Amino acid sequence: MRVLIVEDEARIAGNIAEALRQRCGYAVDCAENGQDGAAMTEFKHYDLLLLDLMLPGMDGLSIVRQVRRRKDMTPILILTARDQPAQVVELLNAGADDYLTKPFDLGELLARAKALIRRGKGAPHPELSVGRISLNTVEQTVRCAGELIDLSPTEYRLLEYLIFRPRAIVSAQELLEHLYDYNWQHHSNVIEAHISNLRKKLRAVGEETTIATLRGRGYRLEAPEQQA
Amino acid sequence: MSDTAIKTRSLSGQLIGGVLLAEMLCAALFAAVAIGHEMHGRRRSFDVMLRGRADSLMGAVQDAEDPEDNVTVDPTELVLPAQDVYEVMSPNGRVLGNSPGSSADQLAALTSSHTPGYFNFRAGRVHYRAVRFDGVRVIDREEHGGIRRIVTVVYASPTHDMWQEAVVAEWFYIVASILLLAVTALALVWFLRRRLSPLQELAELAGRVTTRSWEFLPPAAVLRTAELAPIALSMEELLKGLQQAFERQRQLTGDAAHELKTSITVLKSSLQLLSMAPRTVEQYEAGLEGLLQDTVRMEELVNRMLTLARLEEAPVDECATCNLQMVVRSIKERLQPLAELKQVLLMPACDDEPRFVAFSPVDADVLCSNLIVNALQNSSPYGRLWADVQAHGDMTHLRVEDQGEGIPEAALPHVFERFYRADRSRSRASGGAGLGLSISKAIVERAGGTIEIQSTLGRGTTVTVTLPAVPTPTRRASDMTAQSRTSSGD
Repeated sequence: MRVLIVEDEARIAGNIAEALRQRCGYAVDCAENGQDGAAMTEFKHYDLLLLDLMLPGMDGLSIVRQVRRRKDMTPILILTARDQPAQVVELLNAGADDYLTKPFDLGELLARAKALIRRGKGAPHPELSVGRISLNTVEQTVRCAGELIDLSPTEYRLLEYLIFRPRAIVSAQELLEHLYDYNWQHHSNVIEAHISNLRKKLRAVGEETTIATLRGRGYRLEAPEQQA
Repeated sequence: MSDTAIKTRSLSGQLIGGVLLAEMLCAALFAAVAIGHEMHGRRRSFDVMLRGRADSLMGAVQDAEDPEDNVTVDPTELVLPAQDVYEVMSPNGRVLGNSPGSSADQLAALTSSHTPGYFNFRAGRVHYRAVRFDGVRVIDREEHGGIRRIVTVVYASPTHDMWQEAVVAEWFYIVASILLLAVTALALVWFLRRRLSPLQELAELAGRVTTRSWEFLPPAAVLRTAELAPIALSMEELLKGLQQAFERQRQLTGDAAHELKTSITVLKSSLQLLSMAPRTVEQYEAGLEGLLQDTVRMEELVNRMLTLARLEEAPVDECATCNLQMVVRSIKERLQPLAELKQVLLMPACDDEPRFVAFSPVDADVLCSNLIVNALQNSSPYGRLWADVQAHGDMTHLRVEDQGEGIPEAALPHVFERFYRADRSRSRASGGAGLGLSISKAIVERAGGTIEIQSTLGRGTTVTVTLPAVPTPTRRASDMTAQSRTSSGD
């Protein structure tokens, strides 16, 4: 998952980004002003937008309007130091999904971020499953028939991204865009290597669910029960 | 309304009362004149009637057919009102005849006056008007060519009827006046109510104004009224000013809350991040270092907010003076290390003449260091920075000029606003809260001066402070200058 933080106070942005990386395993990008933030949303790489309301250049509300005008459904969480009801109503009506007032609790922010991403992908419960595999987004663990599978952070993130869209073809490009931030040096074969490791680990526990490679098109998480 | 101690007087009530009183006086005067005029006419006709009756009495004088060849009056032959009193006398005073129904008192009163002509008298409770004249009566005209007899006739008739008749005759006018009075009173009440309604509207409108809803739009009826328009317009102006002041205050409180909440958010999120997972000693040390810096920034913010509050509320120290030249020089010395770090050349002052202005040493220090630190932070590397104090006539100018990147034209009108940052991310990084120039402006204006800012993008920014010069101070003030040197040196 990849999150964009648009916040002019660098210390706050840094703390949130660090918490999202460490606790949720998300890739995080930060923008310091409204214009940069608005421009970065146009790539549609993000699974969640975290916007400060009072920004230099362009305020959070304008960014929300701009994103929604593009029919971009990415969940939006607003951070605001002012909590007048009228303003909250205006924000939500403009298309924001949730808001938090400063000073917020970092734990609450992480929980809301996860919930928004989950619901944005149509999964109301934090536990997702395909075949015998179940993935817990809160604990960041993967089990096969109750047995814990030991995955690296990147492998977990890959599986988490794919499990939200079972049976859909996900391109390598999309995976790169949604799992890595801008500071990461892109290597085209890194995804293939991680997928391969993930396949091995799933096979090792006897799971029939696998990730199929469709040459030139991408990857697909396939559960065997469908054919059976 | 609940305060009944002040007795209110209704403007419309007073107006109605005044007009009605004037009308009543007019009506009374009119009635009096009318009755007077009527009385005059009636008295004249009364007199004519009196004379007529007296003449007919005269006609009744006849030969008495007695040896003395006297004359007599036989009233039985005449038809005269019963209440009339009369007497006919001969020149020698002998009574020839009188009204048969009259009492001795009435007759005595009748004959009390001896001058001919009309006169008034009273007998008992009745008022009379009488006429007395001497007449010549020719008797037995056929027999001897007539005998001329001189007689005196006094004839009186009661006047009370005349008054009653006059009042009755005028009755119509009096009733009409009273009716007119009543009708005009009602019309006046209606008219005044209607005409004074803009006043009531205005009062109602003013009553609706609160600190939450400032709406005050005088209706057209009020603005069309010459007496009310100035009141309504000045009220509108006043309320507009008050609303702006309130809005500014609200904005300031909101901005201050925003800044404080942001600072707290930084501290809180840093602490929570640090305690989220076990960390190494190095990570904790780095976290604590960051937290300390955040706390210092927050302290700075609070200090600046308190400085601004102090400047706005504390009374101005009238006799405060200090040597601005000295303050600027000591601050430049203090900031030399920072200038070297930023590779900025601090230019020496043009002259070293003492220039005294009406600042307290603390205010002078805050102002000058604000402006010079600002200029330093905005300077480009290898740029020059001037900070001079010069005199022009009886004004002292402080000029701080940098060769930095300048301020965008759109931002210039706002730079003195509190919490305003032309480029927020960059100013935040340099620790500013957008209060430095607001504080500078407050200090300068307290001392009766002005502050101006000019900037060209890519060329640099110049801040000019103009202050009234203060003559070289007495010993006490020079002590204070010495104090400022020590306070600005530490």
